[in-house]
Amino acid sequence: MRVDKKYSNWQLVALVTIRFLIGWHFLYEGITKLMNPHWSAASFLLESKWILAGIYKGIAGNPSVLSIVNVLNTWGLIFIGLGLILGCLSRTATVAGMGLILLYYFCNPPFIGLYYAIPSEGNYLIVNKNLIEMAALFVLLLFPTGNIIGLDHLFHKLRSK
Amino acid sequence: MEEKMDDSRSTPKKGIERRDFIQGLATLPILGLFTLSWLKKTIHDRPKNFRKSQRAIPEGLSDINVAFLGTGEQGYILMNACLKIPGLRFKAVCDIWESYNQKRAAQMLKKYKHEVNTYLDYREMLSNEKDLDAVIIATPDFWHADHTVACLEANLHVYCEKEMSNTLEGARRMVDAARRTGKLLQIGHQRRSNPRYLHCYNNLIKDAGILGRITAVNGQWNRAVQPDIGWPKKYVIDSPTLKKYGYESMYQFRNWRWYKGLGGGPIVDLGSHQIDIFNWFLDARPKSVMASGGTDYYNKNTHEWYDTVLAIYEYETKQGVVRANYQTLTTNSSEGYFENFLGDQGTLHISESANRGGVYREPTAPQWDKWVSSGYLSAPKKVTPQITTGAVLDVRETIGPDRHNIPVTFNDPYHLPHLENFFNAIRGLEKLNCPHDIGYETAVTVLKVNEAVEKARRLDFDPKEFRT
Repeated sequence: MRVDKKYSNWQLVALVTIRFLIGWHFLYEGITKLMNPHWSAASFLLESKWILAGIYKGIAGNPSVLSIVNVLNTWGLIFIGLGLILGCLSRTATVAGMGLILLYYFCNPPFIGLYYAIPSEGNYLIVNKNLIEMAALFVLLLFPTGNIIGLDHLFHKLRSK
Repeated sequence: MEEKMDDSRSTPKKGIERRDFIQGLATLPILGLFTLSWLKKTIHDRPKNFRKSQRAIPEGLSDINVAFLGTGEQGYILMNACLKIPGLRFKAVCDIWESYNQKRAAQMLKKYKHEVNTYLDYREMLSNEKDLDAVIIATPDFWHADHTVACLEANLHVYCEKEMSNTLEGARRMVDAARRTGKLLQIGHQRRSNPRYLHCYNNLIKDAGILGRITAVNGQWNRAVQPDIGWPKKYVIDSPTLKKYGYESMYQFRNWRWYKGLGGGPIVDLGSHQIDIFNWFLDARPKSVMASGGTDYYNKNTHEWYDTVLAIYEYETKQGVVRANYQTLTTNSSEGYFENFLGDQGTLHISESANRGGVYREPTAPQWDKWVSSGYLSAPKKVTPQITTGAVLDVRETIGPDRHNIPVTFNDPYHLPHLENFFNAIRGLEKLNCPHDIGYETAVTVLKVNEAVEKARRLDFDPKEFRT
């Protein structure tokens, strides 16, 4: 991997802050799901609208697939969150985070003509917070910081020792 | 792996220096801060959990523990809607059809990680389940009073399907129990919480008075011929159990709606929803009713209640007399189900069926541009007469009024908002949209139709009948 990034101090602070904030969000989402033995993605999946609704509802309707999805989602959120906060395998965590958010986005996209039973906390037209968080992760992917501030820096040093 | 850091902070040097450790581990305080915050939140939330376990009234958005009493077709529909509502914990299901209804419901809830206990007898459920907050009752009408009263007396909030009861005596007992215990009792006239109906009542009728003086109402629910309801033979309920719970046979258990003493027939099953809307939108109770009906098509031995009913109510509203007719057919599905409110300035056509509805301005009424610009109505669509070859438009014909759509879309399960209203009321966030006194008024209004058919004459309502 070749990293040729040269950031000013403030640029680095801004990028690492975004990384921390998104990592924090992921980690807490994952931990709350882990701590709640009754949590299931089913109600979220059943709410799915748009052309992919059949796939999401199919997952919700199949108990064995649903239980796998629940575990993957919970631990995915936790590992991505830890990866972003600690700067550990941060590129992998960033890409995985984008993928996961994309799945959320297409489950309940705020497109014209789609209405949801569970009201969101804001009002959205095509763009919602999921999409924005995904875009922020895309920025982090293009402007990585794990090799500067994070465990990735140490791993790199250890390997190049 | 080659890595080049142009940044002065990370100029590659051989070996690990102190600076590298600082850079590598600089993120750990953030993880520490996260852990600290999480622990603080966990400790902060703990007292609420303790209160919950002591069975206090649920506060704020804490979980509500719910049981289902009656998990047949209707109970299953309500269950599916409830699964979309956050903050509910399903603890128990009770149904006398253990091998089918009860099993299906429990399996469904377990799929969604609700560990439920199953019961055949509601008394056993109420004595065993000590941490319930609310019960959803979807049993046959003749059980509603006993079930509701028992649940209210067990200090539980109750959502009971309509019809409130198949007898007024039963409905009165339910009202008394709700008043005595102070617990909430919501009756399942779910249109009362439907955002399209709420928009029509609050905005179009009450605020804008868009229909002018309403002079007539008509509504219908026409349904195609349906075979009797069967059951998988291997899941038959044994005779002593059926008898214990009031059924003569498995056939009667499955087709209870047609039996006197158990249900109320189509006018109650179907008409009740819509006649309730007559009362609501007119803001009045009827003065009288006359009706014609009978079991004209099906076997009278198995269909004791009338398969065809046509009823005419007379209302005395603040604006004047309103005549309302309602029909339910079970032999022809023409035009399905809807309600029409006809005023001297416009017509409101509405149905629970999501793709139906419209508001039509009378040619002599003032323009509705104001209501279109305020969002109460969508812009009108011109209704142009269809001229087919050979047909000639007569000058005496009035061109149809423009059609405005109701600008509220509702694509969720029909019962969802009504259930949400119930649970929000338990949390103290909303008032019930169909509390026991409204349910009672509707029961009085609807049950009188069967009486009018039987007596074959016009029956008057005493205003006192609507009060308990």
